[in-house]
Amino acid sequence: MQAPLKETVALQVKTWSGIDQPNAAAGTMADALSATITGFTALRGLLAFEDEPSSFEAALQATKETTA
Amino acid sequence: MNTREKVSWLHLSLTEAADALKSGAVTSVELTTAALEAFARVDKSINSAIWLEGAAALEAAEALDKKRLSGAPLGPLHGLPLAHKDMYYKAGKLSTCGSSIRKDFRPHYTATVMERLEDAGSVTLGGLNMAEFAQNPTGHNQHFGHCRNPWNPDYCTGGSSSGSGAAVAARLVYGALGSDTGGSIRLPAAICGVTGIKATQTRVSRHGVMPLSFSADNVGPLTQTARDAARFLGVIAGHDPKDPTSASEPVPDYEAALTGDIRGMRIGVPTNYFFDGIDAEVQAAFDAAVAVLKARGAVIVSVTMPHMDAVSAYGGIVSRVEGATIHAQWMRERPQDYAVHLSGRLYPSQSIPGTYYLEALARRGAILKAVAAEVFGACDAFITPTLRMKTPTLLATDIDAGTPGAIETFQDVSINTRPINYLGLPSVSVPCGLDSHGMPIGFQIQGRPFAEARVLKIADAYQRDTDWHRRLPPNVA
Repeated sequence: MQAPLKETVALQVKTWSGIDQPNAAAGTMADALSATITGFTALRGLLAFEDEPSSFEAALQATKETTA
Repeated sequence: MNTREKVSWLHLSLTEAADALKSGAVTSVELTTAALEAFARVDKSINSAIWLEGAAALEAAEALDKKRLSGAPLGPLHGLPLAHKDMYYKAGKLSTCGSSIRKDFRPHYTATVMERLEDAGSVTLGGLNMAEFAQNPTGHNQHFGHCRNPWNPDYCTGGSSSGSGAAVAARLVYGALGSDTGGSIRLPAAICGVTGIKATQTRVSRHGVMPLSFSADNVGPLTQTARDAARFLGVIAGHDPKDPTSASEPVPDYEAALTGDIRGMRIGVPTNYFFDGIDAEVQAAFDAAVAVLKARGAVIVSVTMPHMDAVSAYGGIVSRVEGATIHAQWMRERPQDYAVHLSGRLYPSQSIPGTYYLEALARRGAILKAVAAEVFGACDAFITPTLRMKTPTLLATDIDAGTPGAIETFQDVSINTRPINYLGLPSVSVPCGLDSHGMPIGFQIQGRPFAEARVLKIADAYQRDTDWHRRLPPNVA
């Protein structure tokens, strides 16, 4: 059986960042990451091979208002 | 000048007060004294300030009055008392960032926006209350006390620029800097019944500003009117060599664009996402705002927002990952110094994969282009309610107190504002009604990148035919 998400998160955060779960609310919010995973799962395949973060600044310029 | 006269000066808008100062009808010392006395009278009930420096402010005001009498050229904010979210650095001055961790922090350099505001002649009164490290949408603060809404102190102010919204609404200052990473200017503006603008991503320098999210942080003003916001934004916008991420785009005269003429302007109303599960009273106030714009000659069109699932998923993690990254060391060393809701938010963000984060950033440009083509191909600006819900109480959103359902309500507060930050669009929130509890309702206006003049023009046109921005809360100067 798969471990609850908050246990996976706890192990991962402790392992990678050396941070312990600070309170119960953090566990609840860790469980809520399942919605994020579902969201990203639904988006799989949309990222193009050439996409990169710097495209955003270029897009701001490309789509800007030219007349008011 | 007696108390009543002082109060009546504070009820002017920023631009009205600037005109009065310029004409000599009132002095900066008189306005600054009135503002400090108003804080002393009113702030006990709303807790909008973390610290004030009255003597230094009066000294600055006196110098500005002498400058006016000398006939020297005056700046656009000459003599006006302002106060700002306590995260704008000024060398040697306190900047708590609303936190216990930085309760004694005094930076050794000054934020570019603070330099520009003071170069324009404003007087800085002090630092205003805010969410701890600007990371909640409600205004809760365990370290300095919750900021309370001037319309009813049991209700939240919105956050994270809580003190900025409350102080402007209570007419304690003419304007205040806020910051907006997921709605933190627009939410307190809507909830406190004032005007607040988040400009295009990169429009305003972030040098000397407490960071939360490299990709989504924005600096902007909360004021009484759209005209005030135009004046204020015109002072702080523009490229800053100290912030290489700031845009080189020229800054237009925002006030000159406020003609009131929106005839023929196409204003979009989304058919998807922004109205899902909306409160009926919020919907009615929004519909009434649409009718006002239509009566002014705007052409109302329906638009479908593309990729909103992607905007939600991607926009939901960028600021979380960036915030968790910059707080990692304190999270290891001082976890007890964070409020429960903040450490609870930061902690799971440490586990979000880097591949998710980079995917969110890499897709941002393509999604913005799609929105520009599909939405701004059909309209010049689009409008939505700033919040879908009525203003919640402090208790209903108090995660630290363990209120059942608080986490969900807390997250829903910013559901309409967060997507705009991911898209990087300019957005101004304008008051448009009161709910059955007597709490303000707001709507937000979005335009293409760098269309600040257009969104302010629409906001100003709306305010010419309405008086929601002039209504006074019970806890007022």
